[in-house]
Amino acid sequence: MREAFTTSAAKGAALEAIGLSKRFGAFQALDRVSLKVPAGEFHALLGENGAGKSTLVKCLMGFHRADEGEVLLDGREARIRNPREAQALGLGMVYQHFTLVPSLTGAENLVIARRDAPAVIDWTAERRRLGAFLERMPFRVPLDREVGALSAGERQKLEILKLLYLDQRFMILDEPTSVLTPAEADEMLGHLKAMAERGEITVLMITHKFREVMAFADAVTILRHGRVVGAGRGLTTREMAMMMVGESPGTDRGKAAQPPRREKPRSHEPSLELAGLFAEDEDGRPALRGVSLKVGAGEIVGLAGISGNGQNALVEACCGQRPLLAGQIFVNGHDFMPTRRSFDEAGMFVVPEEPLRNAAVSGMSVADNIAFRRFDKPPLSWRGWWLDLRAIGATGRELMARFRVAGPSPDAPIGTLSGGNVQRAVLARELSSERISVLIVANPCFGLDFASAAEIRARIVAARNDGAAVLLISEDLDEVLELADTVAVIARGRITYKAPIAEVDRGTVGIRLADGAEE
Amino acid sequence: MTGADLFTVLVAIVAGAIRVSTPFLFVSLGECLTEKSGRVNLGLEGTLVLGAMVAFAGSYHSGNPWLGVAAAAAAGFVLGALHGAICRLPRVNDVAIGIAMMSFGTGLAVFLGKPYIQPTAPRLPSLPIGDWLGMPSLALALDLSPLFLVGVALAFLLDWAFRNTRAGLVVRVTGDDAAAARALGIAVDRVRLVATALGGASAGVGGAFLSLFYPGSWNEGLSSGQGLMAVALVIFARWQPRRCLVASLLFGAAGALGPALQSIGVTTGYYFFNAAPYVLTLLVMAGTGSARRAARHAPGELSITR
Amino acid sequence: MHRSASLSIWSGDKLRHAAEFIAVPALALAISAAIFSAILLAMGQSPAAFFQLLWRGAFGTAFSWQNTLQRAAPLILTALCVALPARAGLMVIGGEGAFVMGGLAAAAAALPLLGWAPASVVLLLMAIAGTAAGALWIGLVGVLRHRRGVNETIASLLLAYIAVAVLSFLVEGPLRDPASPNKPSTHPIGAETMLGPIPGTSVHWGLAAGLVACLAAHVLISRTTVGFAIRIAGGNPRAALGQGLPVGRLLVLCCLLAGAAAGLAGFFDVATVHGAANVSLVAGYGFTGILVSFLARHNALAIPPVAILFGGLGAAGGLIQRRLGLPDATVALLEGVIFVTLLTSETLYGRFAIFQPRGARRGP
Repeated sequence: MREAFTTSAAKGAALEAIGLSKRFGAFQALDRVSLKVPAGEFHALLGENGAGKSTLVKCLMGFHRADEGEVLLDGREARIRNPREAQALGLGMVYQHFTLVPSLTGAENLVIARRDAPAVIDWTAERRRLGAFLERMPFRVPLDREVGALSAGERQKLEILKLLYLDQRFMILDEPTSVLTPAEADEMLGHLKAMAERGEITVLMITHKFREVMAFADAVTILRHGRVVGAGRGLTTREMAMMMVGESPGTDRGKAAQPPRREKPRSHEPSLELAGLFAEDEDGRPALRGVSLKVGAGEIVGLAGISGNGQNALVEACCGQRPLLAGQIFVNGHDFMPTRRSFDEAGMFVVPEEPLRNAAVSGMSVADNIAFRRFDKPPLSWRGWWLDLRAIGATGRELMARFRVAGPSPDAPIGTLSGGNVQRAVLARELSSERISVLIVANPCFGLDFASAAEIRARIVAARNDGAAVLLISEDLDEVLELADTVAVIARGRITYKAPIAEVDRGTVGIRLADGAEE
Repeated sequence: MTGADLFTVLVAIVAGAIRVSTPFLFVSLGECLTEKSGRVNLGLEGTLVLGAMVAFAGSYHSGNPWLGVAAAAAAGFVLGALHGAICRLPRVNDVAIGIAMMSFGTGLAVFLGKPYIQPTAPRLPSLPIGDWLGMPSLALALDLSPLFLVGVALAFLLDWAFRNTRAGLVVRVTGDDAAAARALGIAVDRVRLVATALGGASAGVGGAFLSLFYPGSWNEGLSSGQGLMAVALVIFARWQPRRCLVASLLFGAAGALGPALQSIGVTTGYYFFNAAPYVLTLLVMAGTGSARRAARHAPGELSITR
Repeated sequence: MHRSASLSIWSGDKLRHAAEFIAVPALALAISAAIFSAILLAMGQSPAAFFQLLWRGAFGTAFSWQNTLQRAAPLILTALCVALPARAGLMVIGGEGAFVMGGLAAAAAALPLLGWAPASVVLLLMAIAGTAAGALWIGLVGVLRHRRGVNETIASLLLAYIAVAVLSFLVEGPLRDPASPNKPSTHPIGAETMLGPIPGTSVHWGLAAGLVACLAAHVLISRTTVGFAIRIAGGNPRAALGQGLPVGRLLVLCCLLAGAAAGLAGFFDVATVHGAANVSLVAGYGFTGILVSFLARHNALAIPPVAILFGGLGAAGGLIQRRLGLPDATVALLEGVIFVTLLTSETLYGRFAIFQPRGARRGP
């Protein structure tokens, strides 16, 4: 029968990675990364977004193949070419998103995941064996309910049970607690820690949360820009935070010509005021939990945060893509509703992240996409209903030139352009207006090359210099620190920190980013 | 309405429900299987009509109605496989292909079926369950088709298979989360191809019932849209084979109500009952449509419930 | 990218792009013809004779042209019932229901007026009633989608069935003309009220209405601000919301217009062909319209040619039946083969390097 049912003797494996490097095009995602996780250790992997954590574990799990370096499992070289081979070697991974099938029960999910699932399943026998398996587990999950009806905590436990059931005893956990409440997270990590101490499993956990590291991890490895910048045991929170965010801006940044800033007398009335915003995510969980923030004219408020802390919901709520459960948005003191008229009257402009998904129609032409904002007003249309195609084309051509959008023609579908050019086209649309009162920008330079990023940042500063209230939402702390007049941090759907740039201390922001509110 | 009238109507409704529901049962079970794998087949009307024609021809030429049923299943299997094979190509719209396949299947049936309109073919036997009543007219009304029993058995079999076999679980995983299915090493397209083909075979058998049992002959207007409504039935049954049985009987009873009332002299108004199941389905969808829980019964990969 | 060079490159790209839209369907039609030839050969018939007759029956003579156009007329309008919502991102397949309700409402509207009102007034009111009934029928689909999140494909299909039941109920019950024993119908509007053909032809006015409606739909979608907004909403609802556009209202508007087109077709069927509402209205125009719209890629200007192609196939059926002794369903089968191959050919777009623009670049 199944080896999974004889777990008493099973042991977690030891893993060592030596000098792993991985390049994607010109981008060095991993640069000679070495990592050692002895059997039975609970090891934490820390780093900012884009530091290379995901690439590292994907190389371990066989999703990517490292360009250089090797992986040792229990001291022997392991060649892992795909996830199935990793699983066969006892490496299992719990992802940020759930991989269980929601309409199947827990028991069905476990049995179908087995490679030797029988053609006809004898549920009486299977239940008995599952029961015996659960007996040895430190936590229980109801296996007879549909997974879709389980709470997030129960699902996450079931993901881990699945690894144990499949005898995958080297566990890689990718931010396993991001969907859990702190109490659920502590309970689950406590169980894993106890199992690791008994030598039954080995854990490698990606996390942003220092609190969890301090409470549960035996050792940490910290990545920054694809390199190991720190490792060891017994580091303090402050030490880890400094390693994670760096003493100074990253080496490949910061040399950019800082866009000239003009200081303006700030008005006392904020141009943009978010007052107690509440919203839910797609699954009905709270995404915004009372966001209140003020942005003055001629001010850039840089909102930093680890991805998934409510930033998407915030942008969507501001531009009408997500309903607000409670709270109000004020622009120049007036109540703002996301209708076309209000956008114009308020002079509010939004550049969401991933423009092709959020702000453009890939099948429509570049010129049309540039016209979205003004197609129903002169000179692009006549009396608000008849389009002037010539004017739309001419405007598109002119703005493409002004914003240096490289593309075959204004008539080409915008979906055929590169990411940077789509971003420039959307900026051309949103930033070419005469009067910008409020500008909301989310991760504007994500995935762009250095020169494009610098150009786009300069345009944002230019809008501020012209008196716009800018809310810059970014997962890139360097970007926030470079551009913002005021720095704020969003964590778990709340604003947990706000200070003028002059008073901002990198380490403090790092800790705020990682832990969110003091909980 | 006298007591005797009421009794007559009730018996006629029960008998009619069973008769009318049998093709509903087979198409809805076929559609249920297909949709459980994450794909929708709107072309079962064409499969039903082709199945009816092929079954009749098979029975006519072989003299054995059961061979006709087998031929109908085979024809349905082929049409379903064609649908499945086309829909796995990128950028092909499964709704449009379904309607085109409906047109193709019906066209093929009518084209090939011309010679079979006049002759008679051996019909499926019936199981007289009403004999004990001692009333010949009622006994005749209660002649039960063995295919109905096959359909009932199929409903329970599918229900069991979805829970208790690896194949059943694989179909459900594929229909609910293609990414998870691929992670488990399941060939998603192949599962859907097979599920669509088997679903087509079931619909073909439903057609065989039309031409070999009730009304029991082949002509071009044989189907009254039972195949087209398979999708509605499956929604009504919330993607559960056993509920497909209930839904089919309900839709069948609604269809049988008209003739039953006619038999005692009520000749108007019964079309409302024909429409009742469709109105009910629409109300069910509208009542639960906006709630997040509502879609929980539907396979997650299904395009038509989004 | 040098801007000076981009212009000349683009004109070539545009040509290539256009060539793809000709070449792919042409290839699909050729494959359909090949498949069907094989069927004919298997039946001992000559494909050459068949296609020759098909041409003659569809487009060979003035008479066959008129027959073809007559059959194309309702298809044009029911195809619009699919194309308009499709531009807004909705997949409505219940044009049959709007067609039936349009015909029924038109016939019912005529009833109180017959015998005293002038024919032109009766016809006008009939047209208004038919259009309005169709619009409300599909408009309901849009409202259900917008307000309750009900899938428009299924809702429209269910409503098509409900429409047929309503028709059956009314023509066999309250609206039944006692003088129609065999085929229950509403009271006929009478020959003097019925709409005559377009002068000089035997083609009814529904064709003209269809052509005008297609032109109007094209202008609406591609030249007006409302159409521009519809294209944004259909292409990416998130982007449309982010521009403050009333996405829900645009969807409902498209559904209303779509239903109006199908309802108008129902009116013409009653006013020019049947003279009364009865089950003859349920002739599958709504379903063929779906395929016509798909084959026209939901482009209003491409709908009339496609509808005429399929109208021609239908028109040739009789001739083929008489001359070759083939069953009259031969053409229905050919139609089915063409539908399936043409829809399958969608997968070929973008597969041939020769048709791809040279100027456009992907990737960072």
